[in-house]
Amino acid sequence: MQTFLNAFFTGGSRGAIYALVALGLVLVWRGAGLINFAQMGQAMFSAYVASTLIAQGKNYWIAFIAALVVGAVLGAAIDILVIRPLKKKSGSAILNSPSMREAIPVIASLGILGILQALAGMIWAGDERGFPAPVSTSAISLGGKSAPFTPFDLFVIGTVFAILLATSLFLSKTSVGLAMRASALNSEVARLSGIRTRSIRTLGWVISGAVASIAGLFITPATNIAPNSLDLILIVGFAACVIGGLDSLMGSVLGGFILGFTTSFIGVYDVPEDIFIAIFAMLILVMLFRPQGIFGSKAGRRV
Amino acid sequence: MFKKMDTALRNLGVAALFFVVVLLVGKNVGPYNQSQIAVALIIFIGVLSINILTGLSGQLSLGQGALMAIGGYSCALMINNWHLSMWIAIPLSLVSAAIAGYLLGLVAARLSGPYLAGTTLLLALALPTIANRFETVFGGETGLSIDFGTPTQWLSGIVSQDSFELWQLFVALIFATVSLFLTCNLFTSRSARSWRALRDHEPAAELMGINISRTKTQIFAISSAFAGVAGALYGLRGLVGPSVFGIALSLSLLTGSILGGVRSILGAGIGAVIVVFLPDWIGKAMHPFALADQLTNYLPALLSSLLLVLTIVINPGGIASSLYALARRARGNFKK
Repeated sequence: MQTFLNAFFTGGSRGAIYALVALGLVLVWRGAGLINFAQMGQAMFSAYVASTLIAQGKNYWIAFIAALVVGAVLGAAIDILVIRPLKKKSGSAILNSPSMREAIPVIASLGILGILQALAGMIWAGDERGFPAPVSTSAISLGGKSAPFTPFDLFVIGTVFAILLATSLFLSKTSVGLAMRASALNSEVARLSGIRTRSIRTLGWVISGAVASIAGLFITPATNIAPNSLDLILIVGFAACVIGGLDSLMGSVLGGFILGFTTSFIGVYDVPEDIFIAIFAMLILVMLFRPQGIFGSKAGRRV
Repeated sequence: MFKKMDTALRNLGVAALFFVVVLLVGKNVGPYNQSQIAVALIIFIGVLSINILTGLSGQLSLGQGALMAIGGYSCALMINNWHLSMWIAIPLSLVSAAIAGYLLGLVAARLSGPYLAGTTLLLALALPTIANRFETVFGGETGLSIDFGTPTQWLSGIVSQDSFELWQLFVALIFATVSLFLTCNLFTSRSARSWRALRDHEPAAELMGINISRTKTQIFAISSAFAGVAGALYGLRGLVGPSVFGIALSLSLLTGSILGGVRSILGAGIGAVIVVFLPDWIGKAMHPFALADQLTNYLPALLSSLLLVLTIVINPGGIASSLYALARRARGNFKK
């Protein structure tokens, strides 16, 4: 029972982190129509900045905010420097076909990931670094027995739920959020009705970058950061999006939790090496039987 | 019919010229450059597999390294366990990679852009864990080492027995030439036209009577066969393991493909040369500055990623498309 509860709470806090990664991916996907493979590169970069600040003796929260800002700025930079010029290029021969229009930005995001990783390697010499947790990461003791969760687990789950709540309120209650939803739904119509879709799209990149940075900071107490240490997290986040449905915020968040529990239970009851095989199998099954994801809506096809 | 024969003959000529030129260059450079040329030839086959898949049919695979790994592992296993000759093992590993690609294609046929990209990337990233999971077969983290063999008797006249590098180059060159010839024919074939139709307008292609999912699966299998050959050759350099076929390999294939030109065979060659020799060039250019290790270690990665992004933003057609445009303009001026 103790093992089960341990796995359950680890899964919950891990799932919360995956949900954040998935949320970041979906925000960019809905705005720009591409999976941003550079996302965890942004997170890695801002985690390095934060850990440098901590090493200089700064407060945890100052480092936390700095990481948020770095992630957001990187997100905006990617959109303005790479994705926007690419959209303008759509007349060139190679971008004529719809499949290439989808593929080329994805390759660009991988290139950006490469740039960020190489830069981090140059600046921080590829050091593996830790990042402290704001609260204790050892189990709470309740009446002499150790509880199956740590304060940090609770902190992560609590923060993630606060972020999810804030995001959904932002999207449903504010006018900017409404504009974001409108331009995700139909960017042409949104532009005609006076929404500045370009800025709105950049805003999506900014929020996604900040959210991903938080995910990066929450992972680092468990595993040290290195230039490529977050690649696997990204791919789990991607699987979460696909399993939940790429166009559904709710779905991808749930997908994150599903994967969090799955990986944690496999890690405890089976061997950790099976985790990836399990994720891959889940991904393939979902794509074969419900390609739009568990919560996604089916896209129509225009002939 | 005659036109078809003409094209085939011309392609044969191109391939023969390629073989002779690379062999002559290879015989006249040092051992280090010989092995670098061998790697470039292998990467060339790998980039061709991407240009077939992405350039012709518009499907994007980020995990081409994983398909190369399948070729590499099956070749290594056949040579180590069954003691097959390399000349049998490599074509057989082509078959196993093609089968894997066919299975992947069955899934891929149902997926569009981002889903396919992510799934293939996941496959490439999951490779080390699979090698660890079945450690007894795949040798885990360290991988399998294989003996490349020495030139057979009748070949020693062409390549000398004692130079391992030249032998390596020679073997890679044979397979690269065959791949080049086949790809040239493929690019001008009827199937390629239907693949382009599928890439440019899927519903229209379907209305023309092209079976979308069967065609996509076919393309995946063919492209994987090329990747399998590249992987087998890449492993024959001595080691087959997760570190050899890492995500970095998939990325450099993709970089080579985009830099050179994703829709062109010439582009695949240019891209392969750039990807393989860029670290050397940077090393030479940076040598006088005596930079710190931490900078020089990451400089090639930084520069190649930067080139990738810049190419996409400035000239998504790659170097080859600019060359073709230049040639067209020159011809136009000449006619005037």
